[in-house]
Amino acid sequence: MTFEPTCAAVADLIEAIAAGELPPDAAITAHLSACAACRAALDRARRLDQLLRDRVAPAAPPQFTSRTMQRIRRARWRREQVIDWVFNTAMIAAALLVATGVWIALRNTGLSSIGRDVLEVFTSGMAATAQKVTPSLPLYAGATGLLAVALGLWWWASDAAL
Amino acid sequence: MEPVHERELVARCRREEPGAFEELVDHFKHLVFALIARTIADRSRAEDVAQEVFLRVHRGLPYFRGEARLSTWIYRIVVNVCSQERTVDHARGAATNVSLDDPDSRVRAPSTVDRRFTDLELRDRLEKAIQQLPSQYRILIAGHYLQGLQYEDLADAMNLPLGTVKTQLHRAKRRLRELLEGELR
Repeated sequence: MTFEPTCAAVADLIEAIAAGELPPDAAITAHLSACAACRAALDRARRLDQLLRDRVAPAAPPQFTSRTMQRIRRARWRREQVIDWVFNTAMIAAALLVATGVWIALRNTGLSSIGRDVLEVFTSGMAATAQKVTPSLPLYAGATGLLAVALGLWWWASDAAL
Repeated sequence: MEPVHERELVARCRREEPGAFEELVDHFKHLVFALIARTIADRSRAEDVAQEVFLRVHRGLPYFRGEARLSTWIYRIVVNVCSQERTVDHARGAATNVSLDDPDSRVRAPSTVDRRFTDLELRDRLEKAIQQLPSQYRILIAGHYLQGLQYEDLADAMNLPLGTVKTQLHRAKRRLRELLEGELR
């Protein structure tokens, strides 16, 4: 006794047979030659398979690569902007925290008065130094100029030697 | 592209060598675009989505471990982006389904029209029928009939067993056959 497939069973295999993935066995071949509906379905499946194979593969537009690269650069620039902003904000926040911490520490330990004294000594010392140095400023400027000329000549000579 | 060349290209992209990523885009653009353009009917949106794919490839390349082939990994991104695009469409309420019963697109009797015209019309109907399929089926149909894409690539890209890919593809084609019933002669 041979197995006789039903139309429903054959219908499940039509696509695989049409695509050439499943060679029909003797029972299915016999059913297909006897059943006009299943044969027509197989013909339609084959036609559909061919239509799908013949479908044109759309090519990417000519400027696709350059437009994509532009978009990538823009996205990267935006990402870097965000990173920069986060970094700068974090740095400002950290600096503020450190300054506040130092200020609180100075206030609580009484070191702030010492700080003021140190600042006074520093500013008065700077003023005295400035008074002493002012008369000799032209001399210092001349010496700096000469040094700059000498360095320039040396750089030019070494560059020319190469 | 040979696996050796793929690895080399990935390494060059990671080192940010000038022109390396451009080379990658140039190599895969037609396949990626064809796959997307067959899934999304609107050309300008298809290009936008294809660019998004390469943007994600660029972003993800430093984390690409090389366990799968580069091409498979890119197809996976295409599948994800296309699925998301479909979700966005639904959220926007866009009318992406085109009725096959549109009176303007109804096929006339083949005996009275030029065969070439009938073929063109049939192709148009086929495109409309494909647009009616669920997105998973559309991607499968688009991918399976593209040169260079094997069942295995599709299975890897879609994270599905090989058997499931084959079954779903057959179901998709059966659905198409049903949608085009009476027109496939």
